[in-house]
Amino acid sequence: MAMIKRHWKTLKTAAWLGWQMESNWTQPFLFAVYSILKPIAATMILVLMYWVVINPGYGGQAENAIMFSFLYVGNAFYIFVGQMLFGIFRVIQGDREWYQTIRNVYIAPISYYVYVVARALTQLVIASIAVVITLLFGVFVLGVQISLAVTDIPLFLTILVIGLVGVSAMGVILGGISFLTAKHMHGMNESVAGIFYLFCGVLFPISMFPVWGQFISRAIPLTYWFEALRRVLAPETLQIPTSLTQIDTGLLMLILLSSTIVLVLVSYFVFKGADYLARRKGVIDMITSY
Amino acid sequence: MNYAVETKNLCRVFKRKRSRKERKQEPTKENQKEVVALDDVNIQVKEGELFGLLGPNGAGKTTLIKILSTLLLPTKGEAWVAGHNVAEDTFNIRMKINSVSGGESSGYGLLTARENVWMFSQFYDVPSKVAKQRADDLFKTFGLYEKRNQKMRTLSTGERQKMGMVRGFITDPDIIFLDEPTLGLDVNASRVIRRFVADWVREHEKKTVLLTTHYMMEAEELCDRVAIIDKGKVLVCDTPENLKKTVRRSSTLRLEIDPLKDYSKFRDIPGIRNFSKKVNPETNRSELVFVIDDEAAVSDILSVVTGEGKRIHELRKTEPTLEDVFVSLVGRALE
Amino acid sequence: MNIHLRLNLRAILGRAYPRVIGSLREPSWIFFEILLPVLAIAAYVFIYQALEAPPEFVGFVILGGAMTAFWLNVLWSMAAQLYWEKEIGNLQLYMMAPMSRMSLLGGMAVGGIFGSSIHASATVLIGVLLFKGPALVFPLMLIPIFLVTLIALYGMGMMFASLYLMWGREAWHMASLMEEPIYFVSGFYFPVKALGFWVALSASVIPITLGLDSMRQLLFPSVAAWGLFPVEIELGILVVLAIIFPIMARIALARMENLARRRGGLTLRWQ
Ligand SMILES: Nc1ncnc2c1ncn2[C@@H]1O[C@H](COP(=O)(O)OP(=O)(O)OP(=O)(O)O)[C@@H](O)[C@H]1O
Ligand SMILES: [Mg+2]
Repeated sequence: MAMIKRHWKTLKTAAWLGWQMESNWTQPFLFAVYSILKPIAATMILVLMYWVVINPGYGGQAENAIMFSFLYVGNAFYIFVGQMLFGIFRVIQGDREWYQTIRNVYIAPISYYVYVVARALTQLVIASIAVVITLLFGVFVLGVQISLAVTDIPLFLTILVIGLVGVSAMGVILGGISFLTAKHMHGMNESVAGIFYLFCGVLFPISMFPVWGQFISRAIPLTYWFEALRRVLAPETLQIPTSLTQIDTGLLMLILLSSTIVLVLVSYFVFKGADYLARRKGVIDMITSY
Repeated sequence: MNYAVETKNLCRVFKRKRSRKERKQEPTKENQKEVVALDDVNIQVKEGELFGLLGPNGAGKTTLIKILSTLLLPTKGEAWVAGHNVAEDTFNIRMKINSVSGGESSGYGLLTARENVWMFSQFYDVPSKVAKQRADDLFKTFGLYEKRNQKMRTLSTGERQKMGMVRGFITDPDIIFLDEPTLGLDVNASRVIRRFVADWVREHEKKTVLLTTHYMMEAEELCDRVAIIDKGKVLVCDTPENLKKTVRRSSTLRLEIDPLKDYSKFRDIPGIRNFSKKVNPETNRSELVFVIDDEAAVSDILSVVTGEGKRIHELRKTEPTLEDVFVSLVGRALE
Repeated sequence: MNIHLRLNLRAILGRAYPRVIGSLREPSWIFFEILLPVLAIAAYVFIYQALEAPPEFVGFVILGGAMTAFWLNVLWSMAAQLYWEKEIGNLQLYMMAPMSRMSLLGGMAVGGIFGSSIHASATVLIGVLLFKGPALVFPLMLIPIFLVTLIALYGMGMMFASLYLMWGREAWHMASLMEEPIYFVSGFYFPVKALGFWVALSASVIPITLGLDSMRQLLFPSVAAWGLFPVEIELGILVVLAIIFPIMARIALARMENLARRRGGLTLRWQ
């Protein structure tokens, strides 16, 4: 009980610290604009790609509204993945490279794990704004077909929460590994995010991959997350065969839940392990610019 | 006479951005918007001289060095380095100077110590071969030869600092600015650096060093002349010998006592030129230094202490040091 | 040799050295720098394939992915670099040295181009091996286009470098802000003309926009009609940019240095 209380306190303090640091870095307005502009620009790239392909002046292909909904919804929720991975990773790298405070945080009698997660909560708030804006823009401007039945709302929220927990756990794993590597501010986190972007059926059905690719896809819990989200939000995309279509929604949820639990456990141990290794190798506060 | 460094009525004021919280408050002395770092500084450093700037924290030593090394412009007044104006002729100054500061750990962690100093030498038109040869010689001098091929990020703080010295001297500057070069180094390393600097000036007739420090003994031992600076003002400037002479006729009384309630009584005693006090947090005793012109003051001082019923733990009369010069001028101890 | 010329050549090589060595000495870094664009390429190629786009589109994606190596290098290792240098404590040593500040930035550019070229080539190679694009042609015109684009691009990076110097931590956000939004307006993955003439024209301020557009026209002649302007005109504009940006960089740098010397901002490490 005392331990939970202590973690709770760390969580609150760190979340507060996270907000202070984020909003102090720059004017809050600029910061918000940038956190939202980036994902929306990424969305616009996709919109333009689609538009160029179906435009008679360019690609001249037939319209494919269902495919567009498919990639639009996937991409919107992917914002959570990108932003959270990035956020947690940056907490660790940022402390290390910029403030060199990692020494202080590190030796403070709080759980660094909890500290890192809490600092990333700020990113969650910002990501949510971007997701909502993207979805609204899609529905009202681009005519993306999204329909959430009232009865499906609890299911949707459940899926959302499970997925976000999983995403945070992945962020922590990544952060742990980054203890041991050089400065990859714009390398490692984005590469991992890129792997998820590619393999988790965010933009196109995983059935487009050769068998080994589908194998990777099925090994990542997020694949099931995107599939489940799409089933509640854009049911007509079920017409596109994804090779997960046969799995019924109940089983899908079960896979999602259990794999997320495993992920959280793994993240805890990876973090501890990396932490230990970093200390043994003496690289915890290294600076590696050139 | 050619001066290596000369300043005329040099002033430097920093405008400080006040934090949001401070802006709401009335400006007070602590949070005022302007910091006067240098106030009407006039110094002349001769070619071939080892010149010391002595002063407490925040005195303006680093600021002066930054101005002389063309990193900062004067707010008012003028300064010349090697005969060139710091505000106008930066190229000619930069070709002739270098600067090392004690706390520095500049360079790239991924490069070796040798590669790092080589890189910096390339910005001074030093032929690559010459640079490498000089680097090796200097690494030997500073006892870093074995580690010269180690990546910088694996060097300790002190080793990086020594690497900084190599970086400074590798360009064979005419004038070098050393900002507390022995800060945080162990006794041995400090001695090596001090000896190197002294030899360097002595062996080369035209090389000049401007050194800042707040170690009295460093200034006393090394410098041909010393300027004592406090709160941006140069208080005196002379050879250590002459400076000590100014307090020679007087004597210095060191006193360790239990803290007093009221120190102002000392001010009224005739014969005390100035005094400083600080409390040693470990022993919780007051350490007082009096510069006295008249021996009669001693008994008055003691009676003030005993009048409060406090114990005297230690009492010493000593020969004047530069520290005492500082106390007699400022009424504060240096450290 | 003229002392200035010799000094500045040495300075350029001196500053390029850590870049070259650094990118060779940190292999894990190379891995990520190449993996990242390859992943983006793969994702976009699959989208185009899912939408049944003609094979040229695959080529667009590979080209765009390769050029991100240069763009990221300009953003993070040119534009934001002086800010990093200040944080590490190197800036004051650079500013105290006699060489031209442009050769400092020039050295960073030379070193950066070296590293980025490796990354870009690797990206193209992997992209071509993994995905079947259209048949390749290699007109000679590609060489001047590529070189002029790089000069203009790194010139722009130099200009930003001096501006970022004063912005402090916001530099990081600004660099980050110029990733996806620029991939979008500069048409990294689709013909930029599709954004509409005026948007595309405005985006042409960023040299990589027209550089990419010309390269697309040259490499995929079957769809040359999707170019914004004819290649010769685009080359002309790029040449102008390649002259203007370095000059502007020089002016901005001198201004910023002066401002920093007046304010005392060259050495302050934690703003
Ligand atoms: N960039 C700056 N902005 C605002 N104030 C500054 C700046 N640099 C120095 N100061 C102020 O100017 C005064 C002199 O500083 P300076 O660094 O020259 O002192 P110093 O003699 O080198 O001290 P130390 O012994 O601690 O190194 C100090 O009060 C300092 O706070
Ligand atoms: Mg100082």
